[in-house]
Amino acid sequence: MTRVAKYLALSAWMMLAVTAAQGQSGEHAEPASPARTLMPVRELGPIGRAIAAAAPGETIEIGPGVYREHVRIDKPVTLVGRGMPVIDGGGAGDIVEITAPDVTIRGFVIRNTGTDLDKENAALRALAPRTTIENSVFENILFGIDMREAPGSIIRGNRIGGKKLDIARRGDGLRLWRSDRAIIENNVIHDGRDAILWYSTGVTVRGNTSYDCRYGLHLMFSDDITIEENVFRGNSVGIYIMYSAGVEVHRNRLVRNRGPSGYGLGLKEADRYSVSENLVAGNRVGIYIDGSPFTDAKPAVFTRNTIAHNDVGITFLPSAKGNELYTNNFIDNIDQVAVAGRGNLDANRFWKGDGGNFWSDYTGYDQNRDGIGDFVHESYTLFENMMDKQPRLRLFLFSPAQQAVEFVGRAMPAVRPEPKFTDEVPLMSPVVIRHDLRAEPADIAGLAGTGVMMLAVGIGLVAAAAPAATRRRAETPGNLAGKELT
Amino acid sequence: MTALSQAACTTSPRACDAPPPGMIRNTLTIAGRELRESIRSRWFVLYTLAFAALGLAVSYVSATGAGGAGLSGFGRTTAGLVNLVLLVVPLMALTSGAGSIASDRERGMLQYLLAQPVSRWEVLLGKFVGLAGTLLACICLGMGACAAVLAWKGQATRPESIIWLAGLSFSLALCMLSIGMLISVLARKAAVAVGTAIFVWLMLVFVTDLGLMAGAMAMRLRIEELFALSLVNPLQVFKMWSLFSVEASLDVLGPAGLYATEEHGQRLHLIFAGCTAAWGLAALAAAGVVFSRRSPC
Repeated sequence: MTRVAKYLALSAWMMLAVTAAQGQSGEHAEPASPARTLMPVRELGPIGRAIAAAAPGETIEIGPGVYREHVRIDKPVTLVGRGMPVIDGGGAGDIVEITAPDVTIRGFVIRNTGTDLDKENAALRALAPRTTIENSVFENILFGIDMREAPGSIIRGNRIGGKKLDIARRGDGLRLWRSDRAIIENNVIHDGRDAILWYSTGVTVRGNTSYDCRYGLHLMFSDDITIEENVFRGNSVGIYIMYSAGVEVHRNRLVRNRGPSGYGLGLKEADRYSVSENLVAGNRVGIYIDGSPFTDAKPAVFTRNTIAHNDVGITFLPSAKGNELYTNNFIDNIDQVAVAGRGNLDANRFWKGDGGNFWSDYTGYDQNRDGIGDFVHESYTLFENMMDKQPRLRLFLFSPAQQAVEFVGRAMPAVRPEPKFTDEVPLMSPVVIRHDLRAEPADIAGLAGTGVMMLAVGIGLVAAAAPAATRRRAETPGNLAGKELT
Repeated sequence: MTALSQAACTTSPRACDAPPPGMIRNTLTIAGRELRESIRSRWFVLYTLAFAALGLAVSYVSATGAGGAGLSGFGRTTAGLVNLVLLVVPLMALTSGAGSIASDRERGMLQYLLAQPVSRWEVLLGKFVGLAGTLLACICLGMGACAAVLAWKGQATRPESIIWLAGLSFSLALCMLSIGMLISVLARKAAVAVGTAIFVWLMLVFVTDLGLMAGAMAMRLRIEELFALSLVNPLQVFKMWSLFSVEASLDVLGPAGLYATEEHGQRLHLIFAGCTAAWGLAALAAAGVVFSRRSPC
């Protein structure tokens, strides 16, 4: 049943992709099967000759220097750079292509691909299983590492920096296509389009950092994925999980992913996911849940996350049913939980056993001191409700008029909206999870300096005026504005 | 009064409408006097204390509000301060402006002042500058204290955003002060002037926004119309301007904010400055015209 549904979804997606490709380029105009034509290598450079001379299984060392060549690796060898040698593509085409299994590349700078999106110019393309790419730097590239049918590969400790192009003209910093059981660890990816997994099962993504991309990490039809201890900041979307099942998302930091569709974590028709101990802060929408869980397969759990300072903490589309959210911290999101469109969240649960969530806007108290609020937490603020229905009213955020509306909503039950959700056992204090988020010392010093400077201006103005005024008091016929307030 | 230069001025105050050579010096003399008097007045102490205390409360709560999760407030502190400024600064500027001329007139002080060889524009501008100095002192003390508390709590607020906020608060204060002085020259009694000022404050803070909100819902205003209409209210302009300068985008304000950011980009600074200046200058000019035509008592 799941399988049938998935294929239905797949075919629907393909149709959508085709339509999107016709309408506007860029948005997942992914070909059904990637081109298999090999990269043309006209003449062998020093690295190419070294590979040609090597026996399978051999380790080839390359010394420092700039190598202006396009390299094909067609036998299982280990290529080690000493002193970060540079392979420069000269701004045209792909740069390194791997066609044999069990190839390892370590310690290179690979830079300057072409800019042809149709040909998907990539710094490194692997077309064979068990490829390992370690401790290399990719600079000024369209696509960074492109793995096609390369199961069991390892991508570790690389730095991938895309071309600073308009987002529609960028390529993916990292792409896996049918590459099961890959390990993606401790990489830094920036200024790319997406880091994306297509039809790849059992992949581990751990300890990576991504910034200034479109999607920090994007799963498409990829099952049993572990996403741990990554940092996704300043992307359009941190993690977007689509049509995938069995996803573990733990201890990531999803910070300041903004823009018109800015989500920290997005879930679209995903199944069997568990999201815990993540920091989701400062995003436009912290977590976006669309049609997830797709079936009633368990779990669909969010626990011990801190969701703070987002414009909207969690947005549910009305199709989201069966999520369990407990022992999370919801701190100072402008809109803690929103329902896009009509309806409430009765089909989702905001507590489990005697553990609810911590809500910074909870107004009850805890007289018996058991750490759980004595009243249920029901979210019904009039302005939030109005914003959910009419997003344009967000223009009036932070104005006293907004507070006036809230006050009316509290004071007059007649206009009070139905509660969006209920937390039966709200926590009185936040679940303590260590997220290190410290301000820069320079900023603190600057802030202190600013404070002192302003106080000095203020005190200076007062000091300049006050003694003179004391002397003049007797001769002044009345204190000008003082009287009408006293 | 020092440096009373113009014998011509003694014949008629109207003759001084064109700026005589000593105008700046006269204005500054009056401004200095106004600054001295208002800084040691009770309203200044009261407002400064209230503003600083509320600002400190906002900063402290937002710096520690995450409940020990080690989080700091991103733009939230500034949002809280914006909200506070929106309430306090217009009230302060409007009432002090409204009190200035009207209470002098009521007490006979104005007659005494105008008997000196100074023009009415000089008196008006002098009072404006003096009160502006007082408001600047108040804003600096309040915001400075906030910045100090935020630094002490290790808050991740950028210093630029506090400076922007203080500067924009001052521009809002100037705008409101002009409106206050217009009320002051129009009103016969100080109590009426201050009452009118509070009414105007209430209109600007609550009624216009609520009306616009209702209008947006009832008339299904398009977002560009909504944005354009919101520019009419100088308080909304201040709010959007400070969010824009701190966050570099208005996307937090939803579709209308996104539209403004996409459509105008950096030009928004000019638009917001233009709206604030238009209000301030128009009100001050009107006040000057009325003041120089009416009989002083």
